[in-house]
Amino acid sequence: MADTPGATPIQARCVGDTAIIYASDYLNKLSGERIERECKRQLESGRHAVVINFRDTELVNSIGVSILMGVIDAAEQSKARIIFSDVNTHTANLFEMLGLTRHVSVVKDEEEALALTREGN
Amino acid sequence: MARTARMPIRAQRNDRHNILMRHPRILANVGRDEFVGRDAELRQLVSYAQRTDPERGLIVLGAPNAGTSEFLRQAYDELFLGRSYSIPVYFAFGKSGSPAETAAEFFQSFLRQYIAYRRVDPTLSTVPLTLHDLAELALPTDYEAVTLLLESFERERAGGDGISFLRFCLNVPRKLGTETKRRFFPLVDCVGLAGAEKEQVAIGREVVRAFLRRDQYVAIGGLRRHLRNLINTAGAPQDNNETINLDQLSDDRSAELLDRLGRRMSVDSNEQTRDLIAQQLNGSPFFITALAQAARDRHTPLTSFLNCQRLYVDELMGGRIGRHFSDLIEHIAPQAQTRRTLLRVLYESGLSETRKASVFAWKKRLGVEASEFDRVIEALHIHELANSSGGSMVELNTGSTAWMDYLRAHYQMEVAGEARALTVASALLETLKRAPQAMARKYRREAALGLNELLARFNCQELPSSLFHYERFAEAHTGVDTDTVNAALDAEADLLRVPQIVHVADCGAFTASARTEEKRCAVGHGFDAADYTDESETVWIAAEIDSKLEASAELTKEWCDRLLHVARECNFNRTHLWLISPEGFTFEASALLRERGAYSSSHQQIELLAARLAPPAEAKPPDTGVEYEMVIPMGADTELISAHTVEQIARRINFRPEAINQIKLALVEACINAAEHSLSPDRKIYQRFRVESDKLVVTVASRGVVPAKVIDQNGGQDGEARSRRGWGLKLIKSLMDEVEFERVDDGTQLRMTKYRK
Repeated sequence: MADTPGATPIQARCVGDTAIIYASDYLNKLSGERIERECKRQLESGRHAVVINFRDTELVNSIGVSILMGVIDAAEQSKARIIFSDVNTHTANLFEMLGLTRHVSVVKDEEEALALTREGN
Repeated sequence: MARTARMPIRAQRNDRHNILMRHPRILANVGRDEFVGRDAELRQLVSYAQRTDPERGLIVLGAPNAGTSEFLRQAYDELFLGRSYSIPVYFAFGKSGSPAETAAEFFQSFLRQYIAYRRVDPTLSTVPLTLHDLAELALPTDYEAVTLLLESFERERAGGDGISFLRFCLNVPRKLGTETKRRFFPLVDCVGLAGAEKEQVAIGREVVRAFLRRDQYVAIGGLRRHLRNLINTAGAPQDNNETINLDQLSDDRSAELLDRLGRRMSVDSNEQTRDLIAQQLNGSPFFITALAQAARDRHTPLTSFLNCQRLYVDELMGGRIGRHFSDLIEHIAPQAQTRRTLLRVLYESGLSETRKASVFAWKKRLGVEASEFDRVIEALHIHELANSSGGSMVELNTGSTAWMDYLRAHYQMEVAGEARALTVASALLETLKRAPQAMARKYRREAALGLNELLARFNCQELPSSLFHYERFAEAHTGVDTDTVNAALDAEADLLRVPQIVHVADCGAFTASARTEEKRCAVGHGFDAADYTDESETVWIAAEIDSKLEASAELTKEWCDRLLHVARECNFNRTHLWLISPEGFTFEASALLRERGAYSSSHQQIELLAARLAPPAEAKPPDTGVEYEMVIPMGADTELISAHTVEQIARRINFRPEAINQIKLALVEACINAAEHSLSPDRKIYQRFRVESDKLVVTVASRGVVPAKVIDQNGGQDGEARSRRGWGLKLIKSLMDEVEFERVDDGTQLRMTKYRK
């Protein structure tokens, strides 16, 4: 588990070159910024792929989505891959509706995400 | 041991307070409970009257129509009923014409009030009594002193010199005080003397000279500009007087006054209309009362903006407010032709950017004798219809909305010859169009961070430097909770020593060309250290800028240029710029600010800074909801409470899980939208969940304003994800079956419907 200094701990782990970050139950401005910060930290430390796992996420609001867009931008600039996993149907529809899925891979679970990162290598 | 039953001191005070609040009025025109917003000032006056060191007078400087006369009458009642140490005596000068008439009236009124007080019979204060009656009613212990006074009075009156007679009468309280060893407290009302007539000027001088002596207790009240002039020209001591400033009522007190008047007069109003009226009538108790009376007379409830503005326009055209201004103008310019020209000159001055014109131009256009011209300008000045400092310029006073509206309407009718119906119609349309803007300005003022107060608290404190540099702050603290940020700030080694700010004012007070809003741009003058030298002199210019996201470089540059222009125009030296944007600044904007040496903060930084400069305010407890109708405070993720509530309701009526999620998210977005854009004065979101046979209707409302561009953004753009934010309303439209966004009188309302399919 990785901690952002001073923030409520955000769950994250690394599998090889890939960081897996776990989103909280409600993805809004504050929790979105925590994910953004953790992602940037992982990218700066040289990870080539980041998986954001939404297994606990019940609700994502539009500000949360806009912050995820920032995360996607940051990953693109670092030439890293970003994958969303364990997204519930409702949230997946929301990502689709707001055009996020054009910029990110959405997969069923972590295993599939890790497989995808291996393919990329 | 027998115990004496004594009332506790607190109970005695409460009892006295209740007597004062409930007792029928003596001289006051309105009940004590309707005399709103002057409690502190009344306490100051009553406390002054009870002192034992008669060293200086008390000056009550009133704004026009702020209720100075009523304030003095309320004080009289309070002192009379409270049986204070001094005997109160109230007199309003300026009602009679000549000095002799004024003197006689003052004498009779004084004796009447003295006898009323001595006999503890308030009714005697107001009944007309002859001199013979007064002698008859005097208490036996006072009889001799009173009859001697009456004899002197007759003798002096027979002398025939008006001014001498006036001096004699004005000196009567002092004489009787010496005779009877009692102390009088004259409440001298000079509001009626603000006419600039020759005789009234002379009377005013005598009044001030008689009462404003170093050793006399007195409260002298009048229109502030007039009273200052009067004291100055009378040569009375003015350096050591205590002062009470009676300005217009605050917005809250104005709304409270209207509420109380409405209850007494059975005129309904609501929070929104009360706020509008307070704004429009600039907190004048006289105008507010006039509007409430008009509503009562016409049986029109003040429950919609349309009703309020109709009544207001009627008041301007021929009601009490209109008559007030017409009487003033007629008094200032008695000749019809001069009056017409005066209206034209005043109106046309208002059309220029500076609202100023040279005295020479005014004189030429008015075409009156020099002395008459001086009188007109003086009268306009003391009634605050125009500003003249005796210099070369005259400036129209645009501070009173009612005055400006009156001037426009009467110029159109009386000078431009427009038909009355057309003037009424255009005034009504204008005031209706203006209402949301006036409310928006109020909300923006109220939603402002309070830069003036913040700067005023600067006193050479050493503060974490990152609070003044957004880029550094964001780098270190984004996504971190407040307690941890505070701990990090406590440990920060890089400290900024702020100056000692000794004077703060709105930017607009320094220059009209600043294009800044009230309360959102402040200029603070001070010293870098507390050594008052030229070298350490500094000026901070702080401005709040609007930006939904981090402020862009373009916007930041525009504001830097604007504030630098102010600094140049006002010849400020050693200027520091400080920009505040709700969400901070982009990377490029931060680079620009660095380059310009300007400070930058987000709202979060300002909150943290304010907490460091003063103890934090207590948090308000959240409001609790009611069945199918709830009110939530904005912020702190309270939209989740709404989402859970609507989920329970939707489950009960068997919506499918997917539809429930859609309703929840739509509601969350509506709440976020309301919190982000409405500049809400009460920071609350009002929600209703109506269940019908085939649908659920959710209504989300908030007070405040939503800028048109936000509505357009929300609804008008396609869903390109990279455009970031502004998706709220589009999302809601996608998730719900029907969405209606409407403006209501004071705010916005979003109605969303989901059908059970």
